Amino acid sequence: MDELRICHLYPDLLNLYGDRGNICALRNRLEWRGIRAIVSEVPSGTAFSASGHDIVFIGGGQDFEQEVLLNDLSGEKTRLIKEAVESGVVFLAICGGYQLLGTHYTTHEGLQYDFTGIMDIHTIGDKKRMIGDYMFDMDNGGKPLRIAGFENHSGKTYLGEGIRPLGKIIRGFGNNGADGTEGARYRNVFCSYSHGPLLPKNPSLCDILLETALKRRYGDYSLSKLDDSIEQRASELIVKRLS
Amino acid sequence: MKFKIFSAIIIAKAMTFLLRLSGSGGTSLPGKAAMAVKADLLSYLSKDVRTILITGTNGKTTTARIISEILRKSGKTYFENKSGANLISGITAAFALNSTSFGKIKSEFAVIECDEAAFKTVGKHINASIVVVTNLFRDQLDRYGEITHALNSIIDGIRSSPNAALILNSDDSLSYSIKGLVPNRTYLFGINSPPYGLDADFISDAPYCIKCKSRYEYDFRTYAHLGGFRCPGCGYRRESPDYSADEISLGSSFSEALFSLKGDSIRAKVAIPGAYNIYNALAAAAAAGELGLRPELIIDGISTFRSGFGRMEVLDLEGISIHMILVKNPAGLNQVINFLANDPVRKILVMILNDRHADGTDISWIWDANFEKISAAADIFPRIILSGTRAVELLLRFKYAGLDTAAIKTTGSYQDVISEAMGQNTERLPVYILPTYTAMFDFRKALSRKYKIKKFWK
Ligand SMILES: [Zn+2]
Repeated sequence: MDELRICHLYPDLLNLYGDRGNICALRNRLEWRGIRAIVSEVPSGTAFSASGHDIVFIGGGQDFEQEVLLNDLSGEKTRLIKEAVESGVVFLAICGGYQLLGTHYTTHEGLQYDFTGIMDIHTIGDKKRMIGDYMFDMDNGGKPLRIAGFENHSGKTYLGEGIRPLGKIIRGFGNNGADGTEGARYRNVFCSYSHGPLLPKNPSLCDILLETALKRRYGDYSLSKLDDSIEQRASELIVKRLS
Repeated sequence: MKFKIFSAIIIAKAMTFLLRLSGSGGTSLPGKAAMAVKADLLSYLSKDVRTILITGTNGKTTTARIISEILRKSGKTYFENKSGANLISGITAAFALNSTSFGKIKSEFAVIECDEAAFKTVGKHINASIVVVTNLFRDQLDRYGEITHALNSIIDGIRSSPNAALILNSDDSLSYSIKGLVPNRTYLFGINSPPYGLDADFISDAPYCIKCKSRYEYDFRTYAHLGGFRCPGCGYRRESPDYSADEISLGSSFSEALFSLKGDSIRAKVAIPGAYNIYNALAAAAAAGELGLRPELIIDGISTFRSGFGRMEVLDLEGISIHMILVKNPAGLNQVINFLANDPVRKILVMILNDRHADGTDISWIWDANFEKISAAADIFPRIILSGTRAVELLLRFKYAGLDTAAIKTTGSYQDVISEAMGQNTERLPVYILPTYTAMFDFRKALSRKYKIKKFWK
């Protein structure tokens, strides 16, 4: 039986509303196809293995716990996460998880926190929160994939050289509310501000992550089709409201 | 000066009267209008009445209603604000409506529930006798952003009531941390032994010490982050409560426990089911105890208290019992799911999810609730009906929880919900309705229209 090892990184710190929904989607969409899903949690204070996971999920968090997070990352964990990224492990990083893959975060009072620097992106805190349903078109080899989600962040993220956006904003704010970009892509890392159940509502994106991971592990791989009519209805409701 | 008070009160009373005539029960508009005439009307009206302020994330309404019940049993006069009218405008209106036109309050006590984010503002106007903080959970992040935001709002609000007895939950590391940050004498309530059958769910809103950010260890857990916490870093830990419950047994319509009220041990019933309501009963008992009410009357109030507005209220319609339980965040919903899945009675489940402003526009939290437990007990849920503006998202959640979506009815029409749950309910199974805030009001309207119930709420 084929299998994928899914890691929920920092479920104790980065677990804002609905993040669990993404793990739930990855697991179910493998199991519905007869592929085994092995889900493990790596909370702060426990070791991360650079080669032990096929997909790593990192969610969003509250400011209160940021210090705990930075302490934990200051050890060799940053190096191991970077090693996993560079070796092509699939990552899905949302909101705070997305920001921490960048070089730094500057608060609106001008305080700078250094992050992992795995990707050339940085975030600047703002007083105003960017909140609400939003949608973007994800670059997907020529045919854009329309993604509907919910964003809730006060950090504005800017992409450096060599980092592509995940997509182009159609409605909402995205990375910074100014340059029309949303999220980031680097190696097999997918970053987005879409917090909550991004994958259950956007099953094509979920399948892209799964297929990328399966191909990396087993060579050529194509996933069988599933009935996604409920997923489509949930997503279309948001698209319709925003159109 | 006097004239302004008089006009403000008259405006509030007249507007409420007119709104009631037009069939609306709203109190926010009359409160706003009165405040436009006299901004600090609430300070003036509350100065001669003994006020009990209840705040916190979950259980405010139920705790307030139990306190009122105990006051009633004790022969005291009191008034309350309406459930949901818990911002400054609604609270000002409640005082105005219970005052004479010249600003004299007729009752001895005011039992006031207050939104945690509004506590900062409301607290400034009221020199309370008692302040109760039920608990703190993450709730509606689109409003607050951070849980410490609510905590700071509560601390600010308490500062105007330095003489109030402060009632805190000893099992909640977040709200218990207020002790010592304010000068108030403080009394604690808590559960000493976790209720049987209540397995702790995984979601913790506060895994790290609020004082030093080390990870808490637990001697026991009741639910979410509540329980016997202690911090290995700085020694911050749960303190033994003054008002406590032990030896808890949970039933489908009530619970039993051994209550200890500052040393008086009494075995008693809590007339509303669910472990979370034991906390609400204890919070109310502590408030009543610190008001000086007798333990027998407190226990009597807890044992006979029946319903809260939309909180585990039971209606009997054509021989079918209808239970309505408001849901608004994963910690609360998980408690309701625990209760429904552990009670072996077969039941019809209706959940109504709206995403209007008052519900919270972010509905992601349903993905943190443990619907997998409903899936594991699927045979006691022979019919599931989903409704509300985001019914489809609920259906999606139920699909990923492992339920058979072909057997689930999804409809935007409350009339359809009623006919599915009631009309086709030949076995007369109990119906449990789990609405979000605005859905609760709308669904009650639909029910009262259908069953010609004039007014089934106070
Ligand atoms: Zn500590």
